[in-house]
Amino acid sequence: MATEERLRRTMMFVPGNNPAMVKDAGIFGADSIMFDLEDAVSLDEKDAARYLVYQALKTVDYGDAELVVRINGLDTPFYQNDIKAMVKAGIDVIRLPKVESVEMIQTLEKLVIEAEKQFGREIGSTQLMAAIESARGVVNANAIAMASTRMIGIALSAEDYTTDMKTHRYPDGQELSYARNVILHAARAAGIAAFDTVFTDLNDEAGFYRETELIHQLGFDGKSLINPRQIDMVNKVYEPSQQEILNAQNVIAAIEEARQKGSGVIAMNGQMVDRPVVLRAERVMRLAKANHLVDMEGNYIEK
Amino acid sequence: MEIKKTAMAGTLESSDVQIMLSQGSDGITFDLVSDVAKQFDDAIKATITAVLALYGVDNAEVKVVDKGALDMVIKARAMTAVQRALDLADEPNWEVM
Amino acid sequence: MADIIRDINLNNPTQRQYWQTFLSELDIDNFNVKELIGIEKIVGLFDGERLVGTGAIAGKVLKYIAVCDRGATSKGARFNQVMTTLENYMATLGRFHHFVFTKPRYIASFKHIGFGVLAESSLGAILEKGLPDVHSFIRQLPQMGNQTSRIAAVVVNANPFTRGHRYLIEKAATENDFVYVFVVAQDVSLFTTAERQMLVSKGVADLKNVVVVSGGDYMVSYLTFPSYFIHDETTVIDYQTTLDARLFKNIIAPARHITRRYVGSEPLSETTAHYNQTLAREFDDSIELTIVPRLNSQRQVVSARAVREAIATDNRQVWTEMVPETTALFISENITALQTRIRKGQKIDGN
Repeated sequence: MATEERLRRTMMFVPGNNPAMVKDAGIFGADSIMFDLEDAVSLDEKDAARYLVYQALKTVDYGDAELVVRINGLDTPFYQNDIKAMVKAGIDVIRLPKVESVEMIQTLEKLVIEAEKQFGREIGSTQLMAAIESARGVVNANAIAMASTRMIGIALSAEDYTTDMKTHRYPDGQELSYARNVILHAARAAGIAAFDTVFTDLNDEAGFYRETELIHQLGFDGKSLINPRQIDMVNKVYEPSQQEILNAQNVIAAIEEARQKGSGVIAMNGQMVDRPVVLRAERVMRLAKANHLVDMEGNYIEK
Repeated sequence: MEIKKTAMAGTLESSDVQIMLSQGSDGITFDLVSDVAKQFDDAIKATITAVLALYGVDNAEVKVVDKGALDMVIKARAMTAVQRALDLADEPNWEVM
Repeated sequence: MADIIRDINLNNPTQRQYWQTFLSELDIDNFNVKELIGIEKIVGLFDGERLVGTGAIAGKVLKYIAVCDRGATSKGARFNQVMTTLENYMATLGRFHHFVFTKPRYIASFKHIGFGVLAESSLGAILEKGLPDVHSFIRQLPQMGNQTSRIAAVVVNANPFTRGHRYLIEKAATENDFVYVFVVAQDVSLFTTAERQMLVSKGVADLKNVVVVSGGDYMVSYLTFPSYFIHDETTVIDYQTTLDARLFKNIIAPARHITRRYVGSEPLSETTAHYNQTLAREFDDSIELTIVPRLNSQRQVVSARAVREAIATDNRQVWTEMVPETTALFISENITALQTRIRKGQKIDGN
C-alpha cells in the first residue's frame, strides 16, 4: 500500500518512441505520465522505444509528476528487458497490461526484485499497477489489487475489455458499469488508486465531460488520457467547490487546534472528527492547491 | 568490436535523429545532415562516438540526419542502432547503459 | 490528431483510384504498367480518412512520393513521416541503400533528410541515401595508372559477350594506357549477371591493360530509370540518357581519371542512337567520346540480340560467327539451359 497518498487525476499516455512527445511530456501538468512501450510502439521499434524512455527518465526533469511506464505483456519477448531497463532507469511505477491473475503480478514482482538487486536500486522502490482488460481480470480484480504491497493502483482498459465482453464502447458507458464498480471496490478495499479508461474521440468534448463526471461521481481517482488537452478538462471536473474547501479548512484548523492543545481527540462543532473525514479534508486541500483555488497560506482565491 | 551488419535507428521526425551504422575500416567516420546550426555538429558526433566506444566499436561509417534531437535522444538512438548492428537487440548490454 | 500510416493496396480498385487521384492532384499522373510493375509496397498517410501523403517501394527505389501539407501541423512533417516509414520498412528487409528519382524542385527536400544528388537535369534528378553508396562503389574500383595516363571506359551489358564487344574493347585498349570495362549488373537478361561478367573477363583476358568490373548500382541500363513524374512520354528518353551521361561524367569518370569513353555505333536501335547523341552533347570537352562503327559478320551486323535469337532458334552457325570462342564454348555447354530459360519466358528482344 502506498504510504503517501497523492493526486492521480490524470495519467497521460505518451508514445514511447516519439522524442518530441517524450521530451515535452512534463509541461502539461499531468499528475502521472505514462510512457507507453506497448500498443503505441510497433514491433520493430520496441527496442528503440525502450532506450528512448530509458534515456528520458535518466535526463529529463518531469517535475512532480509520477512517472509510469506501460511495459509489454508477460507473453511477449520484450517483457523482461522492459522491466530491467525501467527499473535501472528508476521508474516510479510499472504498469502491466492485460492482468488477469495474482500470479501475473507476483511474476512481475519477482523480476522487479531481481532487477532492483542487479542494478543496485533500493528493494521495494519500484511500484506496480495493473491494467484490467478482460472479464477474467475483472473477476479477479480484488485479489489482483491486493497481490503485492507494491501495488499503487488498478486501471480499467476498456477497448480490449469490451471486445472480450462481445460488445464495444457506447456513449452512455452502460457496458462498463459493472467493471468500473468492481475495479473501484477492489482499489478501495486494497487502499490503492482506481483509474478509469481512456476516452478516444478527441472531438467529442461533451462526451468526455459526461464520462469524467460519471467516474468522478463513482469515486475514481482519475482517468487515463491520450491527449494533453484532456488534462484541464479532468482537473475542472475534480475541482472542489468553495464550500468543500471551507469545510476542509475547518477540519484542518481543528486538527491544528488539537495539536496545539496536545489533545489526541480532534473535535469540531462538538463532534469527534474521525479519520476518513481528516483524509477527505486533506485530499480536498490537495485538489484545491493543484487547481490554484487557494494561495500559499491556504486562503480561498475568488475567481 | 566489429559491426556485423548495417543497422539504422530513429526517424526523420521533428526532435528525432536518424542514425545509420555500417562497417568501417578507418575509425569512426561521419556523414551528418542537420536542421540545427553547424556548431552542434561536433557535439552530435561526440555523443555518438562515446556510445560506440561503450560497445567497443572503433571502426564504423555513421550516417546521421538530425532533426533537432536532444542529446538524450541522440544517445538513445545511437544505443539502439549499435545494439542492432551488433545483433544485441534482444540481449542488451546492461553494463554500458 | 496525429496522421496515421496505412498500407495501400492497388488490387483494391477503389483504393487504387483514390491513390491515383491524390497523385494526379499533386502533378504525378504517369501510372504506366512499366512504372507500377516492380512496386512491392505502397504506404499512405491518412489524416482521418483523407489521404495526405504516399510513397512506394520498388527494390532499391522509392517512388510515387507525394505529400499534401494542407492541414499539417508543420511544413515537412508529413514528408518526413512518409520517408521514415519507407526507410524503416526497407531496414526491416535488410535494405539500407536506396534511390529516389524526382523532379528537380524536390531535390532540396530530399537533401534535407540525408539524400545526396548523383545527377540532375532540368527534367529530373537521381538521388541516393544510405550505405554502401557511390563512394563505396568508387573505393572498390581498382586504381590503374595515374593522372597522366590515358584512361578509357566501356560500358557493356554483354548478353552475351560478342566479337563486337571484343572489337570495341580491343580498340580502346590499343588507343589508351588503361581501359575500365563496366558490366551492367542488373540481373534481368538471358545470361545472368555472373555469366555475363565471366564471359567478358574470359573474352578480354589477353588484354593486359583492361580491367573488368561490375557496374554496380551506378552503371545501369538508363531505361530502368523511373519516369513516373514525367508527363510527356517523348521527353523520357532524354531525361534518362542525360542523367546517365551526367552521372558518368561528373562522378564516375573523375574518380578514376577516365577521359575517354568508347561506344558502338547504333544502326539498329533508335534508343541507343539517341543515347550516343546525348553522351556526345553532355561530355562536351571533358570526356572524349569515340563512336566505333559496328562490326559486321559475314551476313549481318554483330549484335548480342542476334546471338540470342540464334540460341532460341538453335542456329549454331549464326552465333558461332558472332561470338568469340570463349562465349561459343559456354553457349554450347549450356545450350539446353539457355533455351529452357527462353521457353520459360525470358525475353530476348530487350538488351
